[in-house]
Amino acid sequence: MKMINLLTKIDRRIIYLILFAVVTLPIIFPTAKSVRVMPPVEKLYNAIDTIPEDRALIIDFDYDPQTLPEIEPMAFAILRHAFRKRIKVLALSLYVQPLGLAQNALVSVSEEFNSLAKTHEDSIIYGRDYVFLGWQPPPLIPILGMGESIVNVYRTDYYGNRTDTLPLMKQVKNYDHVGLLVSLSSGDPPKYWVEYAQNRFGLPVGAGITAVSASEFYPYLQTGQFSGLMVGMKGAAEYEEQVERELAIKVRRKASESLSSLTYAHVVIIIFILIGNTGYLISRRKAKSSPTSPTGRPR
Amino acid sequence: MKRNFPLLLVLVFGILGIIPFIIPHPYVQNTDEFLRNNLLKILAAFALILGLGSLLRVHYDKIRRKGQNWEYSWVLIGTFIITSIIGLFGGVSGTGILPTRIGSFVFDIWTIYFNIEVPLGAAMFALLSFFMASAAYRAFRARSTEATLLLVSAFIVMLGVLPLGNEISPHLPSFAQWIMDVPNVAGQRGILFGVALGMLATALKIILGIERSWLGGGGE
Amino acid sequence: MTGILLAGIFALSPPTDVHVYDTPDDGGGAITIEWKLSVDDAWLQRYDIYRSENGGDFERSGFIGSGRDQFVDETEDDKRYVYKVAAVSETIISFSEPSPVVNSSAQWLNRRKINIIIAVIVFGGLILFFIQHARRGRELFVRKIAGLHAIDDAVGRATEMGKPILYCPGIGYIEDIATIASLNILGEVAKKCGEYDTKLINPHADPIVYTVAREIVKESYTNVGRPDAFDPDSVYYVTDSQFAYAAAVDGIMLRELPATNFLVGWFRAESLILAETGASTGAIQIAGTDQVSQLPFFVTACDYTLIGEELYAASAYISREPLLLGAIKGEDWGKVIIGAILIIGSVIGLLTMFPILGLFD
Repeated sequence: MKMINLLTKIDRRIIYLILFAVVTLPIIFPTAKSVRVMPPVEKLYNAIDTIPEDRALIIDFDYDPQTLPEIEPMAFAILRHAFRKRIKVLALSLYVQPLGLAQNALVSVSEEFNSLAKTHEDSIIYGRDYVFLGWQPPPLIPILGMGESIVNVYRTDYYGNRTDTLPLMKQVKNYDHVGLLVSLSSGDPPKYWVEYAQNRFGLPVGAGITAVSASEFYPYLQTGQFSGLMVGMKGAAEYEEQVERELAIKVRRKASESLSSLTYAHVVIIIFILIGNTGYLISRRKAKSSPTSPTGRPR
Repeated sequence: MKRNFPLLLVLVFGILGIIPFIIPHPYVQNTDEFLRNNLLKILAAFALILGLGSLLRVHYDKIRRKGQNWEYSWVLIGTFIITSIIGLFGGVSGTGILPTRIGSFVFDIWTIYFNIEVPLGAAMFALLSFFMASAAYRAFRARSTEATLLLVSAFIVMLGVLPLGNEISPHLPSFAQWIMDVPNVAGQRGILFGVALGMLATALKIILGIERSWLGGGGE
Repeated sequence: MTGILLAGIFALSPPTDVHVYDTPDDGGGAITIEWKLSVDDAWLQRYDIYRSENGGDFERSGFIGSGRDQFVDETEDDKRYVYKVAAVSETIISFSEPSPVVNSSAQWLNRRKINIIIAVIVFGGLILFFIQHARRGRELFVRKIAGLHAIDDAVGRATEMGKPILYCPGIGYIEDIATIASLNILGEVAKKCGEYDTKLINPHADPIVYTVAREIVKESYTNVGRPDAFDPDSVYYVTDSQFAYAAAVDGIMLRELPATNFLVGWFRAESLILAETGASTGAIQIAGTDQVSQLPFFVTACDYTLIGEELYAASAYISREPLLLGAIKGEDWGKVIIGAILIIGSVIGLLTMFPILGLFD
């Protein structure tokens, strides 16, 4: 009985401690693992890669500090891809929280390119190559409004410039001039884009989401409503892999580095589930042989 | 009247919400945009004032009653006042009338956001992995054939999404992807159909005034 | 390179058959121009679109990459336009014949949405039919939903223990149907709290939802004849930050030790944080959401879980009002139709895999 208790009633703090150790150690000593690129990410990569030159890419930054480690590497990888292929980028957030994170990603990646640029043409210039539209609440206003006119919804950009004075905004007037929208989100926004912007205006939509919410987004990929999908740290690592392989951009790959933590965490959880089940099976066998022994109600 | 007026409002605005989806004419679209852009924003602003008022009132009351852990209510009220002042008068990044820098010490709203909200939020989200492990350990038991199948597919997906899965067998990631693409999608879709129809029915019931629980229950 | 040279030496073939029409199903302000690609499309840089307004000179109004044969031009509805499409290489430009005169106008119906309108009318009709059916007093059977059946016991338990009930509607907005459904259940739970004089705690993450919930709870107490028992501070706004809200609700769970936690509404990743904390305090937990990815967490950590549409059915189930039950019946028939369409579609899809049958040629 003691043995069964030992297996089925491990103190949750012990589980937490072991998990903490296996997650932390690989972060302290990082190594980037290469990954196999799966079809959903490959599709997204190709969808961005084939955006025609007269159309822009909209990136909807809808992740918050909580999900930053999972989704920020996706944002960096996509921005690197877009800037390298000279695809025009419009950035926005449907909520106020991600604004700072969006700005951070845009500034970091554009500076990364500008530090290597030799001429003005090579550089990534704000207003010409990308625009940060900022935030316009509530979410439905920009999603529907941009189908009619982007500058009407965002009269000023994040920095307070009038959007109608920015060169890029003279080319990109509404969804007709947008090749793809990628929603990087820890919530439902990718669905909003499909339900409102795609249904109403035919906007192609791709998404980058957290692993925890992955299962509910796959139907959208299968039906073709999503042009591609990146799921969690693994999806981000796959996009990093693709960007490095196809575009020869060699930079630090944060998602790929975090995969070791993910691996060990999954293995630990699997081991604990196996331990719990071993205890459960032993107790069930014992219960069968002695019908009076109690079995706890599962929670 | 007290009951009928809200019902009438719901009916009118409910129909106004549906019409722009099928009528592209500017008369309709502009009315819709006015409702969404202007009216909704004003409503949201008023509701926010009410909400913040309620938050402060609850905590003030707690301090007055010396309720459990009432000291923390001071922390809330204090930080509320400080961040509000910095946000309202200091601007987003120190561009407002309030100076938000003393020497090299910066305390504008983004500094607060990045140094307090970001790590606190990340810490809360990180708790999820611990809770997930303990919940999985507690609840994932091979009690029946279905539960065993669930358990096995969970293992396959968990391993398949890792580079380790590819090392065990190159078929494992593909199999994991298949589980996500086919059985998972089939199950999700079943629930989604129900949800979609349920949404339609709920919306219809509310617009037509059949569902009145939101008015505090049925009856005339 | 050779191509550019060739295109430079020889004249370019212009695009032909320029076809212009008012872009259909829009709010006006757009004309669609279509053309047959230039024979030399492979050597082209792009197509330029030129237009003349009200008989004026032709001016460039836009461009599009080679290989594409359609362009939607922004226009003003009260003007008449004539278009030309030009094939452009690095050195040569070659114009098409001018198009007929065209003007744009706004439409009163988006025909691309007709399928959706029909579906909504069919399902809406079904729901209304069954509501009417119920109005005539016909008995309608609804299967037992354990989570909703447990609400009475849960409130009773809290009353016996002298502990409060926590009702958490999640972090959705008022436009989320899950939030609306949750508010419907809140109304019923509040009534029971009023009847039994049990304390209700109802923290919110959205100010509009908070405002609505406050009125609902107040009305519910009034409806059961206990307006005096309503504590305005029992319904309050906390924050719209997802995890700050989760932290606040966790705090309430640990401090107030509610006998019952309702986690019903629109939830994201905070679902498990709330449910696990609630489970650790020993409270009975009734959860419900239409967020499919959160359902496994609720099923794992809560005693009862309302899955998807069960949540929407809740207020009908609790109140047993025939009109509401009629709507549920309508939904079920909707599902039967969708199921039938899916099966027929799948069979047709499978048959097309056998070309020998010669179907759909």
